[in-house]
Amino acid sequence: MLFEPRPDGVTRGCQVLSPYGLDIIESCLTCKMRVDRLFCDLPTAALQSFESIKYATAYPKGAVLFVEGQAPRGIFVLCKGRVKLSICASDGKTLILKIADPGEVLGLSAAVSGKAYELTAETIDPCQVNFVKREDFLRFLKEHSEACFKVAEQLSEKYNVACHEVRSLGLSHSAAEKLAKLLIEWSGRNGESQKQEPRLKLALTHEEIAQMIGTSRETVTRLFADLKKRQILQTKGSTLVIRNKAALRTLATTG
Amino acid sequence: MSRTCLDCARRSDRVFCDLPHDTLQEFDGIKSLRTCPRGTILFREGQSARSVFLLCTGRVRLSVCSEDGRRMTVRVTSAGEVLGLSAALAGGSYEVTAETLDSVQVAQVRRKEMLHFLRAHREVCLQVVNLLSEDLHLAYNRVRTVGLARTRHPHVSGHSLQIH
Repeated sequence: MLFEPRPDGVTRGCQVLSPYGLDIIESCLTCKMRVDRLFCDLPTAALQSFESIKYATAYPKGAVLFVEGQAPRGIFVLCKGRVKLSICASDGKTLILKIADPGEVLGLSAAVSGKAYELTAETIDPCQVNFVKREDFLRFLKEHSEACFKVAEQLSEKYNVACHEVRSLGLSHSAAEKLAKLLIEWSGRNGESQKQEPRLKLALTHEEIAQMIGTSRETVTRLFADLKKRQILQTKGSTLVIRNKAALRTLATTG
Repeated sequence: MSRTCLDCARRSDRVFCDLPHDTLQEFDGIKSLRTCPRGTILFREGQSARSVFLLCTGRVRLSVCSEDGRRMTVRVTSAGEVLGLSAALAGGSYEVTAETLDSVQVAQVRRKEMLHFLRAHREVCLQVVNLLSEDLHLAYNRVRTVGLARTRHPHVSGHSLQIH
């Protein structure tokens, strides 16, 4: 396949430059990470078909992939980097629903249903994204049942996250309870939860953490200070150490 | 209500049910029909997802619960919707509790059989993708309502908080 540069920096084909310090994955067919990723681990025929409709794109940190309310243009398969997914109230108040990791397909439900994107997606690292136009993607799903099944699985996971968010936001007593739940959830993701003193790298600012739990930046800063004072947490640079798991769990259940 | 999906007069109006004759016949073979009185719990949040429920008649409330027993309605589903689908596909536990609000008729399909059925029929899998997209759309709306309408204390009294 020929290298086809486009004026907007998007490339379609096998060879991609490496902007923003990214080591670009040129082809899904040779990608070593695809076996570990829910959507990408497709049979060769489906993958070849996907390869012909995708546009490999690199974005810097802070780029907006799509905006809540915008008509769905297509789907974005996140290959590298992380993306912040948020919703916004009319008064500008923002709630971060999730930080998407590589392997996730973004804009999926909107592209399938034809309704506007429900969320805003903004890169928080330099990212590689494979974009597929909506009409190409819908045709791809009709032709490849395995891909269709994987999309159903991804949608199911996203639904699970949304329900979790409803529970956390709607039924938590206090900001302290929500923050404790968030920290426990994060420590569980990187396999640290079994350790005596789990560690986690804080990749978000206090402002962003506040937007994840629906509170103010000042409250998050105050809560962190309080947890440190009570020796429940300790910070070492950007690393957070949970020194008293039991106390944090109690806080997560009682607020 | 018809015992077989093939004779159901309402199926053309329902996303999941409007399937080709042979596919529907196969679905008939894996489903079991149940009539449940009002107040029946079809499945509970946290329970391992072993079945999928196609709601033929009536309404079912989906809710989430806090550790101290406070309950919040996520939404009320109506006839034609498929319940427990995302949990069955993800292979985990149900995200919500499903409780009947009327006397309902449901077609219950075991998870393994449903997965097999979906893999065998591309058109059903596409319907399921459409249904899940719709579910997700509604769930995001609920997150917006709950998360952005009240960002501080929920001011809950009693044991039931319902946000419609």
